Amino acid sequence: MRASSKIARPTVSIAAFALVASACAGVGGGGAEEGELVWALGGSEAQPGGVHQDVAALWSEQNPDTPITIDVLPESADEQRQQQSLELNAEGAGFDVLGLDVIWTGEYSDNGWLESLEDIRGEIEDVSLDAAFESAQWGGELWAAPYNSNAGFLYYRTDLVDEPPTTWEELKEIGLQVGEEEGIAPFVAQGAQYEGLVVNYLEYFWGAGGDLLSEDESEVLFAEGDAAMTALEFMVESNQDGFFAPGFNTMMEEEARNEFQSGNAVFMRNWPYVYDLANNEEESAVAGDFDIAPLPTFTGEGTTSALGGYNNAVSAFSENTEAAKEFVLWAATDPEVHRMMAEAALPPTLEATYDELADDPVMSLLGEVLPESRPRPPAPNYNSISVEMQQNIFPAYNGDQDPQAAIDAIRDYLEGTLDN
Amino acid sequence: MATDTNTGSTLSTSPAGGDGQKAKRKQMSDRRLAKVFMAPSMLTMAIVALFPVIYAAILSLYLYSGREQIGFGGLQNFETALTNPRFWSAIWFTFFFTITSVAGEFLIGLGFALLMNQAFVGRGVTRAVILVPWVIPTVIAAQMWFFMFNVTPGFVNSVFMAIGFDGFENFNWLGQASTAPWAVVFADVWKTAPFVALLLLAGLQTIPGEVYESGRVDGANAFQRFWNITLPLLKPAILVALLFRTVDALRVFDLPQVMTQGAFGTESVSILVQRFIIQTPDPGLGSALSTLTFIIVLSVGLIFVSLLGKDLVIGSEEG
Repeated sequence: MRASSKIARPTVSIAAFALVASACAGVGGGGAEEGELVWALGGSEAQPGGVHQDVAALWSEQNPDTPITIDVLPESADEQRQQQSLELNAEGAGFDVLGLDVIWTGEYSDNGWLESLEDIRGEIEDVSLDAAFESAQWGGELWAAPYNSNAGFLYYRTDLVDEPPTTWEELKEIGLQVGEEEGIAPFVAQGAQYEGLVVNYLEYFWGAGGDLLSEDESEVLFAEGDAAMTALEFMVESNQDGFFAPGFNTMMEEEARNEFQSGNAVFMRNWPYVYDLANNEEESAVAGDFDIAPLPTFTGEGTTSALGGYNNAVSAFSENTEAAKEFVLWAATDPEVHRMMAEAALPPTLEATYDELADDPVMSLLGEVLPESRPRPPAPNYNSISVEMQQNIFPAYNGDQDPQAAIDAIRDYLEGTLDN
Repeated sequence: MATDTNTGSTLSTSPAGGDGQKAKRKQMSDRRLAKVFMAPSMLTMAIVALFPVIYAAILSLYLYSGREQIGFGGLQNFETALTNPRFWSAIWFTFFFTITSVAGEFLIGLGFALLMNQAFVGRGVTRAVILVPWVIPTVIAAQMWFFMFNVTPGFVNSVFMAIGFDGFENFNWLGQASTAPWAVVFADVWKTAPFVALLLLAGLQTIPGEVYESGRVDGANAFQRFWNITLPLLKPAILVALLFRTVDALRVFDLPQVMTQGAFGTESVSILVQRFIIQTPDPGLGSALSTLTFIIVLSVGLIFVSLLGKDLVIGSEEG
């Protein structure tokens, strides 16, 4: 202890020096040069050769004064959010344009990380898909410009099933029967404890006529009616009677895709990206033997899907706000950009693109499904809501928790978050 | 030596005395010099190790809404943490994991070490091969064991089927609370037993052969030689290995995170900390949890060191 008091003074001065030195280094690095824009975006299409790179190149060609480069973020959405929030939390000017998952809008705008896009609202609203546009708003204000979208499909084996079922009950019956005859699993989807489970659950829930919140986001409707229970009980029973494939509760997108394209499942719920991969003769055992359809509901009427995708937002700490705004507007409204994305099987948000590409099976189904798809609430604490739902739905459908208790817990949590 | 004397005379203010006093003064200045030499490393330690710990403890006293600080909350975050059943189930899993995995690693590691200490053909190759699991990065090992245990492709199940256990075709190791924690423990034992073996082997090689020779002369059989010679002389190495592994296991994050994402009762305290710092940000609660983790790890470490400190010191003097 005596020793420590004696070295205290040099410690402090050297520590102070070290801090000053690192602070200087911080000021020197980061920050785009004037005129140049940086677009923080993740996923495989942001990699060299991906369609987002082509979009960036197209903009840079047309706007040589304000060229844009992509700062490639990691593959998983959670890690992308982590990278962006590190920069934004430090009020860093390193990113001008942010590729925003549709569920981050509320959190980012609440943190004061985004420029409002109200002044270009009119130009965007008229041409974008409604659900995508809705996901870019929070608190009645526009914070991002729609860019690409996503929705769930029902994949089914055309060599085993004649017509795609329109209700979940029917799908289950056919799945169990055909699965038993063929010795394969009836249904694969996303059942692990993560965001994908919430997406899948909400699709059952909305398909049973449920609503999470009232229109103006002031009231929790989750446990009103029996939709929450219908959806959860369907999952509990499916897990018990073998409708859900073995290992369903450790499955994410890729595990489900592998099972389906190895010919081990009759039905699958997955995103559009699977279509091309599962039709690849070299890698898929079911190439040409499957088709896509809208997800069923419990009533047999219509379809519903959770909306995915990315919007582009302008960072509040950007030193080049005007150019960044022009870019996100252009990326939301330029037909060429959206045609390029459609060709890369990335669902565009520009409505007109779907009429143009009605011959393409994926695009035509998306044109049918996307107007019916619904955004998860892009609330500031969406992540906490999602984790709470995961932690109740997962044990409940695995038989480790009472379904009613799980639903009550989720309702209480949602009500608690609205009170704050 | 000349430098020592010089430093002594410049630093010392007391008048020169007799020979004894001079020697004492010289000793004092040596000590001072040692402090000066140690200062840079103490400083580095303070910046690298102590600063984050103290900073986390300070953060844990504040309340947050999202990432925004909304005020001073005293011990409120600790109360939230300690009354949350999720915290206690994380504590339960962390201790379950620590005790079972360290026990498994110790027994298997000791077996390997004794084997590798024998002279036999191919000993060099065996030593190298045994270390393979340990050099694989944990995240990759975890992903590998996820594939092995998962229903698809289901390698572990195929092995069980091949040796005649029916009914394992679709056994869901990672998808039920009764087996998921064991799968994680198994992966950790597989990965880290070689490390324990390495530490124990180093200890075994410091035991002189003459001791065994005199044991044989006295008529001790193999078990007696192991129990009365090997184990007592290996004790310091065992303690070091156990200390390292226990402290490490208490902080486990990567294996359960990759293999189960914390589902089915495999959420460790470190996973919980990460959840509250990154996934659903509440830096105050996250810091309170990480401070609690620090206190737990530190006290377990201190218990080890204080119970066994004497042996550690004696061991190092003998070695």
